[in-house]
Amino acid sequence: MTEDLTTRARFWPKGHAYEDFELGQAFKHHWGRTLNEGDNSLFSSLTLSYNPLYFNAELARDHGHPGIVLNANLVFLTVFGLSVEDLSEAGGLFLGVDGLTFHRDCYPGDTLTARSTVIDMRESESRPDQGIVTWHTEGHNQRGELVVDFHRTNLIARRRRPS
Amino acid sequence: MPGPLTSLTGANNFFEDFKPGDAFRHARGKTITEMDNVLITNLVMNTAQGHFNEDQMAKGPLKRRIVFGGITASMVIGLAMQDTAENALRELRLDGIRFRSPVFHGDTLYAYTEVVETSESDRPDAGVVRFRHVGLNQDGKVVFEGVRDVLVKRRSHWGDR
Repeated sequence: MTEDLTTRARFWPKGHAYEDFELGQAFKHHWGRTLNEGDNSLFSSLTLSYNPLYFNAELARDHGHPGIVLNANLVFLTVFGLSVEDLSEAGGLFLGVDGLTFHRDCYPGDTLTARSTVIDMRESESRPDQGIVTWHTEGHNQRGELVVDFHRTNLIARRRRPS
Repeated sequence: MPGPLTSLTGANNFFEDFKPGDAFRHARGKTITEMDNVLITNLVMNTAQGHFNEDQMAKGPLKRRIVFGGITASMVIGLAMQDTAENALRELRLDGIRFRSPVFHGDTLYAYTEVVETSESDRPDAGVVRFRHVGLNQDGKVVFEGVRDVLVKRRSHWGDR
């Protein structure tokens, strides 16, 4: 029974190869994510992010915030994470990020969505089975306000080796 | 006299304290465990299983899971944060983020910081400090580099609050 299933089963792949991208191509990424206080406490504690705006609500209120502020790097990584299936899940090293701007503060309960555009593609001279892709990724909150944007560059596996 | 707000954070890391060329070796390192990497990777919805599928990675060239670069960046910035942003109003920008070599479970990260420049901001009570951060592993190998702009409070406006 199980053997029949594993024999019949069709692999349901995730991610995109280098050949799937083209300059200017735009993606609206899946899911969105509401960040809550637990997400923020966990992330800020594990990363030793000792700016008390991230974990002392009274202090944050005394600075004019409605309460605890979401850790900026949690906002960045969540927008990044939502983009991974479309952009980089199929494999290849994450090389770097440039021009990242945190446009506004986010708070627990805010919902982030992500979208990206392909802004550069080139062959890798040292790795013929991979290409290098750069995307411009933007994260918005539930009001459609831009909260973070950045350029990310990755190695991306090619589907076929160039002949 | 420090007021109730300022008494909660350091007295030596206001905007006025940072000068271009200042260099710091931050006191604490952190060993990146499976708990850090898998937990944060999954928490932020990063679906790349190279960070959480040991079986698949064991069969590939790396032989084991690799730490998500976003975590390496957040951890190095975190190791530097008490000294550089305990008195910050907000994070502004990141640039030139580069991952020079991979990080694996069990590697220990240390952070070094240089003040690149300081500048006025659009508000009188805080200024912008541009830091350059470098993250090293336990062998002294560079794993992370990046530039970060932070809006830091001025002692002149916040010191007695």
